[in-house]
Amino acid sequence: MTAELLKLAGSIVAILFLAWLARHWQLGGDARIRNEDDARAIAEEIVCGFESTDVAIDRAGIGALLRDAEGRHLLIRRHGALWVGRLLDRHSETRLDKSFLTVGTGERTFGTVTLNLGEKAQYWAAGLRHLQV
Amino acid sequence: MPELFSPVDYAIPAFIILVIIEMLWARRRAPDKYEPKDTLTSLALGTGSNVASALGGATVFALAIWLYEHRLFEIGWVWWAWPLCFVLDDFAYYWAHRTGHRVRWFWASHVNHHSSQHYNLSTALRQSWTSYIALSFIFRIPLALIGFHPAMLLFVGAINLIYQFWIHTEAIGKFARWVEYVMNTPSHHRVHHATNPRYLDMNYAGTFIVWDRMFGTFTEEVEGEKIRYGIVKQLGTFNLLWSVFHEWIGIAKDVWSAPWRHKFSYMWRPPGWSHDGSRDTSDIIRARWLEKHEVEAAE
Repeated sequence: MTAELLKLAGSIVAILFLAWLARHWQLGGDARIRNEDDARAIAEEIVCGFESTDVAIDRAGIGALLRDAEGRHLLIRRHGALWVGRLLDRHSETRLDKSFLTVGTGERTFGTVTLNLGEKAQYWAAGLRHLQV
Repeated sequence: MPELFSPVDYAIPAFIILVIIEMLWARRRAPDKYEPKDTLTSLALGTGSNVASALGGATVFALAIWLYEHRLFEIGWVWWAWPLCFVLDDFAYYWAHRTGHRVRWFWASHVNHHSSQHYNLSTALRQSWTSYIALSFIFRIPLALIGFHPAMLLFVGAINLIYQFWIHTEAIGKFARWVEYVMNTPSHHRVHHATNPRYLDMNYAGTFIVWDRMFGTFTEEVEGEKIRYGIVKQLGTFNLLWSVFHEWIGIAKDVWSAPWRHKFSYMWRPPGWSHDGSRDTSDIIRARWLEKHEVEAAE
């Protein structure tokens, strides 16, 4: 039993060391959406076949909102060095504060995302409030 | 019975050294191949899995001993039993793994290994905490009934696990054709961890890729196509407990809310299945992707 506990303690020390090393060596990078093509490519990766017709990118490039011809809205955001996204529905939470649009998916673990969309914020907020599905 | 050591205990220092070497490679070539928070989650899943094994393993081993006491053949400890046991265990692993992707009950446990969006050596250590609850051992334990001693099964299973560690990397390309034909390699296993529609639910092999070739689940890695790793609906969090239990919670919610005649289907049908067709299985995603590509090719 003592040997097992020592092994467990050793494992915890080792994993903390490796995670520290990854941070110390600055692994992970600083992912940003540079332009609409970038956002479209990420969206297609997240939802296979999602062909966006309209895109709004956060000014810092940390997230975006996209809409396709069927009227589906997709929220993408940075997750570590990569990207995650969710299709939004009429239950999605939306809050507008001047140029900032805060979007919640209803998933607590996914969290809410605040995007600086500039003048487009109001337009996208209205679009999200009128989602039918 | 010979005194057998635990191969995994001896392999762990090598695992740590190899992770550091791969991190050095990533630092020079592609820093985004590692993400510190993801690495921590993966390694914590590995440590937790060891604890779960310590808690559940004794019961499974006792069950294997009971089956062995009722064995069909007297194989013993002859030299040829070892390679035979390894090959048969790898065959059983193939079916366990395939079922782990095609039946949501087993997927709820195995999804832990796939929920990282990164593919590196730390991902290899991202193991399930709930495989004993899922009863995933039922696929491999019958070898004890055939006549292989449970200690031998444990040993070859550990060798198989160690083999699968080094194939979780993007730092290695492809090997000579004969190696790629017979063995599971980094290239084949990248395909397995991919969410690109063409790769979904392919290459289930543990050590020998020949099982996939035999049973129609093999797909070659396509040069030049960017691979996306993880699961169809990415977690979007590094929360350890959510990573462990999210699919079990999903099953519980679906079973609770589904009509009576569909409740059981949410456990045994493929991940992504829904009684009202509101979600996508990997088959549906692949079919949609194929249809789109056929249309594009025709234009």
